Amino acid sequence: MKQLLLLLFFVPLLGGATAAPHLAPIRGVVRDETGQPLAAVTVTIKGSQTATRTDANGRFSLEARTGDVLVFSYVGHASREVRISGNDDLSIELAGNNRSLNEVVVTALGIRRSEKSLTYSTQQISGNELTTVKSDNLMNSLNGKIAGVTIAPSASGIGGSAKVILRGNRSTTGNNQPLYVIDGVPMSNQGNNFMQPGSSTYGGNPEGGDGISNLNPEDIESMTVLKGASAAALYGSQAANGVIVINTKKGRAGRTVINVNSSASIDKNAYTPQFQNNYGQTNPTAVDSWGGKITGAHDNLKDFFRTGSNLTNALSLSGGTDAAQTYFSYTNTTAKGVEPTNQLSRNNFNFHETAKFFSNKLTVDGNVNYITQKLENSPAIGFYSNPLTGLYLFPRGKDLLPYKNQFELPPVSGGNGAPTQNWPFQEDVQQNPWWVINRNTNENTRNRILVNVSLKYEVTPWLSLQARGNVDRTNDVGDQKYYAGTLAPLASHTGNGNWNGFDHTLQQQYGDFLAIFNLPVTSDFKVDGVIGSSISDNVTSGITWGPSAQQGYGLFFPNLFTIQNIEVAPAINNGTSGAVASNATTLQPYHSQVQSVFGNANISYKNWAFLTLSGRNDWSSNLAFTADNHYFYPSAGLSFLVNQMVSLPQVISYAKVRGTYSQVGNTVGQYQTNPVNTASGSSTVLNTAAPSSLKPEKTKAYELGADLRFLGDNLSVSFTWYKSNTYNQDISIVPLPASGYATENINAGNIQNKGIEFTVGYNMINHRNFSWNTSINGSKNVNTVIDIDSKDGVNLVDLTPGNGNFDNYVAKGGSYGDLYVQTLQKDASGRLVLISDGSTNYLPVQGGGELNGFSKVGNPNPKFQLGWNNSFTYHNFSLNFLVDGKFGGQVISVMQGMLDYYGVSKVSGQARDQGYVKIRGVDENGKDVSQIDPKNWYRNIGGRNAILGEYVYSATVVRLREVALGYTLPVSGAVKSLRLSLTGRNLVFFHRSAPYDPELTSSTDNKLGGVDVFNLPTARSFGLKLNVTF
Amino acid sequence: MSIQHILSIRRVIRSTNTIALSIALIAGLGGCTKKFESFNTDPTGIQNKDLQVNTLFMPLEQELMYMTDDGYQIAQNLNADIYCGYAMPPQTFGKAVDNANYVFVDGWNQEGYNSVYTNLLGPIKNQLANSGVQTSNPDYWAIALIVEVEGIDRVTDKFGPVPYSKVGTSLVTVPYDSQQSIYQQMFLQLDTAAANLQAYITANPGATPLANYDAIFGGDYTKWLKLANSLRLRLAMHLTKIDPATAKSQGERALSAPGGLLTDPSDDAAVLASQANGNDYNQITDSYGDNSMNASIQSIMVGYNDPRLPVYFLPDTDPGHTTEYTGIRIGCNIPPKPFYSGFSKYNYKTTFNVSAPEMLMTAAEVWFLKAEAALRGWAGAGTVQTDYETGIQVSMLQNGVAGAAAAYIGDAASKPINYVDYTDKDSVNYDTAVSKITIKWDPAATDEVKLERIITQKWLAMFPEGQEAWTEFRRTGYPKLFPVVTNSSGGTIDTKIQVRRLAYPQSEATVNPEGEKGGIQLLGGPDNGGTRLWWDVDKGNF
Repeated sequence: MKQLLLLLFFVPLLGGATAAPHLAPIRGVVRDETGQPLAAVTVTIKGSQTATRTDANGRFSLEARTGDVLVFSYVGHASREVRISGNDDLSIELAGNNRSLNEVVVTALGIRRSEKSLTYSTQQISGNELTTVKSDNLMNSLNGKIAGVTIAPSASGIGGSAKVILRGNRSTTGNNQPLYVIDGVPMSNQGNNFMQPGSSTYGGNPEGGDGISNLNPEDIESMTVLKGASAAALYGSQAANGVIVINTKKGRAGRTVINVNSSASIDKNAYTPQFQNNYGQTNPTAVDSWGGKITGAHDNLKDFFRTGSNLTNALSLSGGTDAAQTYFSYTNTTAKGVEPTNQLSRNNFNFHETAKFFSNKLTVDGNVNYITQKLENSPAIGFYSNPLTGLYLFPRGKDLLPYKNQFELPPVSGGNGAPTQNWPFQEDVQQNPWWVINRNTNENTRNRILVNVSLKYEVTPWLSLQARGNVDRTNDVGDQKYYAGTLAPLASHTGNGNWNGFDHTLQQQYGDFLAIFNLPVTSDFKVDGVIGSSISDNVTSGITWGPSAQQGYGLFFPNLFTIQNIEVAPAINNGTSGAVASNATTLQPYHSQVQSVFGNANISYKNWAFLTLSGRNDWSSNLAFTADNHYFYPSAGLSFLVNQMVSLPQVISYAKVRGTYSQVGNTVGQYQTNPVNTASGSSTVLNTAAPSSLKPEKTKAYELGADLRFLGDNLSVSFTWYKSNTYNQDISIVPLPASGYATENINAGNIQNKGIEFTVGYNMINHRNFSWNTSINGSKNVNTVIDIDSKDGVNLVDLTPGNGNFDNYVAKGGSYGDLYVQTLQKDASGRLVLISDGSTNYLPVQGGGELNGFSKVGNPNPKFQLGWNNSFTYHNFSLNFLVDGKFGGQVISVMQGMLDYYGVSKVSGQARDQGYVKIRGVDENGKDVSQIDPKNWYRNIGGRNAILGEYVYSATVVRLREVALGYTLPVSGAVKSLRLSLTGRNLVFFHRSAPYDPELTSSTDNKLGGVDVFNLPTARSFGLKLNVTF
Repeated sequence: MSIQHILSIRRVIRSTNTIALSIALIAGLGGCTKKFESFNTDPTGIQNKDLQVNTLFMPLEQELMYMTDDGYQIAQNLNADIYCGYAMPPQTFGKAVDNANYVFVDGWNQEGYNSVYTNLLGPIKNQLANSGVQTSNPDYWAIALIVEVEGIDRVTDKFGPVPYSKVGTSLVTVPYDSQQSIYQQMFLQLDTAAANLQAYITANPGATPLANYDAIFGGDYTKWLKLANSLRLRLAMHLTKIDPATAKSQGERALSAPGGLLTDPSDDAAVLASQANGNDYNQITDSYGDNSMNASIQSIMVGYNDPRLPVYFLPDTDPGHTTEYTGIRIGCNIPPKPFYSGFSKYNYKTTFNVSAPEMLMTAAEVWFLKAEAALRGWAGAGTVQTDYETGIQVSMLQNGVAGAAAAYIGDAASKPINYVDYTDKDSVNYDTAVSKITIKWDPAATDEVKLERIITQKWLAMFPEGQEAWTEFRRTGYPKLFPVVTNSSGGTIDTKIQVRRLAYPQSEATVNPEGEKGGIQLLGGPDNGGTRLWWDVDKGNF
């Protein structure tokens, strides 16, 4: 195998090595975008009378000189000019200029199909659209560009994950993100063992980015978003959330092309919280700022944040012959976050080889991706180990600089010999910001290799067999160091510091075998399709290490970060229970396998009516120990090309209507059908999972839509209505305590997503030297929790259990992730109920709430999304900009509650300036009260357990998301093209009323939607990009 | 039919073989699911069929201190330990008012309710009871029953009527039992436990099959029998107001029970701290910095010049006060840390070091129970003065200050002192001592004074077990405790009478609404902190 790969690597290079100035025979083949040979294409040498036509196999030959330009022209296709550069065997692809006839979409299993035959909605974007204005997670570059896709970047700085939701959340406790498929093969999108923040606002864990963020956008040829479950019945369960199909670049036959891409960008905070500058520290040792008047407050934030940067250099090489094509690329990404010490470095190697054997009957395609990534000091989300708490809460008017210049103090005499933290306060929620970034460090390295191999053999012109295999292996090694001097709850009672980490490997193997057929039954009827089987196997293994509990034990010698130096719990005879614990434990091993058979048939009639049928049966190892370990799910779709069925007015150039119905089954979580007791030292902890009899989950989805084009395709409109319901979800609930069980897994739920999506594109101006294209995409999703399990009295699933003042609920009658928070008590006429504070003023009273003491204040998911894309070209200049808005929805800010409680926020200052907070309240004697003392007010509604009902904000946000100004320089000689762009990201917020960017999410998991706990602000970036092609 | 057409049909037939082969391959892949069961079995766990019953006891016993969820702080410290006058957090938890001001933090209090069901009663009723252990190992079953009684007592004495007899019977609704019925059941469970243990000890003298798995007595069944009898005495005493007859009959039964009571510190029932988190008091005091001395215990211990003071607490650490023991008034206005951080903390350096076991019931408490029993004239209780003085001696012995006992017992002068808060410029928190009780036994005193003396000393000896201390405060009114400075309960709790119970977890209204409805009916009053429990009758002690 290795030798074969080596051979494949050198063949195309040899092919491209010679050049001849004299007249020489030039051969080649011309194909359309689907790879079909085009016959009767005219090939002319520019400026001469020499011409020929391609034969039935698309082949041509003529005599020409190096440097000559060949012109290829064919009816219905754009002409193409190709300069001869020494390669005497050309492979030319002609793009159709009439999109209606030839648009090709990559669908399930990597099969290319013409768009007109699809019965469901897809949206494709090119690799260029992802790389024009780069972002360190390529999914963030998709934001605002695709109707029906909601993308929420994680608030954890560079290297962070992105939460991608297509057509709403449908799974209560499972995964809601789409399936990523690279070149037809599912990819793991798993992050590292730091995981996403749990349900609590304390947090303290960094995150290491998701799987998709590892990819190099420069290697991506195109991305197709299959939004509904219908688009994806062939991929299996995970596709119920939609699929993002990524096609990577392949080598192209012909001249060797070298492409160099360099981009540099700088990041600044797009906003920061608003502070007051009129009132100082309460008293000289106080932690808060309810003190006397001050002037000339120092801007402490300026001393902390830095300008972030991202430097990406990519080199790619592509070339080959008709028989073998090679693509190789290397990319280095170096990024620095706005929080000092937060940095990312990533190297991507990609080698893609395609070769044909046995007179082109056998196609071998191989792709190796190797990724190394190192992420340092990813900002923690939550209160703990977050430098922003100490930075923001620091008393106003006091200078933070001394704590920057000396965040560490020399060891105290009689201490443990380690330096100590220089910080005047002892609160678990705040530390010296510079101590946090230098002495509460984290690091994560990821080594990932993705290998894809596919063999395709054309048995007859109407039947091909294809076998594919894929290994996606990721090794993550990460750790968090807490140096001696760190606050006790984070470090250890010994004060010697703390250390935890993991070494974690996940391996996903996938194999499939397909028979692809294409039967011309009669001249009117055609049947094509695929039958196949696949196996997918996931294994996770590894160890974690650290003290047996964060609070109890820590390091033995201060700041010596080795496993041997971690304290273990004392043995049983020393007063505590159990045998001596180990410092390292294995991760719970995970092994899950799904085997499938599937089939799909597309029947077309006269090329204007299309029927698609598919079915799949999965056998899942997670369903072992249940009555049935397999499940079947079908789909059916129909589309008509109205413009070819009947005669339509001239103005309509294309009209398609489509509809589809599909089901998707899904397995249950690993081990849930077989709960076991836990061994812990010398004792056994009995499992407290209630007995369950789980069945597979089922999603039923419908969609109807139309794609229309007018005015010679200059105006295109696409519209889709969809509805999906997910039943039988595998939900882990906490049953009533007196059942004696701590958890129960039930099949329950009926979560519905209903909505519309549309895109409108218009070529406003299309002159030779000036063009303007504009497109708008929009979507509206209505999510309804129709039921959880009301027949058994379960009407609620708490996504964030254990929080004292808020919860994200999935509650019957509501929407997914509804925010329930503590609110203030009001009387019947809406006045705040006040009690006397014992002196002359009042205190507000906490209300009872409608559910578990909380009241519903909204839902964090946008109700409506709109993206407006524009691109202009003028001679060699181009300008693109994207404005997008997310409308509706509510978010809460725990951070603002803290800033108010500590008296550092601007509103708390303004209230003191005017002497009161205006309220509408009523006292114990029924007297109306319109003013309340600011300190009484904010210290009672704010704080760590703030009455978050007072901290609810509209999530509506409208921004200028991307701007790119490009200039293509006129070049000659070795350089074939040179392009320079200036780019900007998040330049302007046209509307934002929350104290942070409500698009950010504290967790890309299902939890903490719309909850801000000292989230790192969104970055505004400016960049410069250079693209050179040789 | 043209020749070409025929040819193409032949090609189709030839290809059919290939298709058949493909289908065979495809079908072959789909059917191999033999290994699925092994894939889906967690290799780090233990299957029910492989269980070794004796290894189950440690986590059940430790759950008495809420160790499974590491929940002691919210399950007990932030309610009972504060309300009984032992503890006070030196900080608020992000809000101006909370449990210390009688504004219940539901998320805290529900831990004291939920975790006992899910981690203690559930495993016993749903798993252990199904394993046939009642007949195969009646001695194990006895231990399980004692643990169960101690567990449910902690729940019912916080909340009142709660589910007990029907625990584990439904995932949808479980009815609440009246507190009277729960007490009856607890006595019955203790009957079975004591009988089983007695039989086993007689048949297998000296056998300790649970030696390596028992977090309380290292498998010593004679001590378990003493604990069962002592618990019976404790529970009987709870009923002196509501049902004096049962109190007396169960109490006398305990006093004369074969196997005896806890008498010596070597009998003390203490749970080994969990390996994962260490001693709970150590964790919440040292690691969290959340647990300091209450003004009430400061007033009494400092006033008595109590030799146990440095055992229980650490001196203040603020400059100028390092020789003082300083407590914090419950319900006072608490500025953010480090305002009260210097005030006296539980002694996490020695007594509550990270590996110290956690006390459930002491011999000293039993001596004071006997003293009250004697005072009430119960048969077999001995003489009240001897019981009282022995209680003090045993407590001093337990705390390593036995030498100071005699002088202490003879101290007829020392009295609780007034409370002063040196950080409080306006003296809002100041209060004169609420109790004037002295130490030395006075045979001539009234029964009421005698009872105050007994309970005050019992309370000092019982530290830091606030659950039982709070129960006894509610039953007897002793020791006299400082009231909350700011009562924010909105009138539901009387500052003078003080808090009587915890409200049911709000989640019960969603997960077990029918059950809770019945519970509130049985409670006989509104579901708030002002409603008295069944045994908490508003009348005199005698």
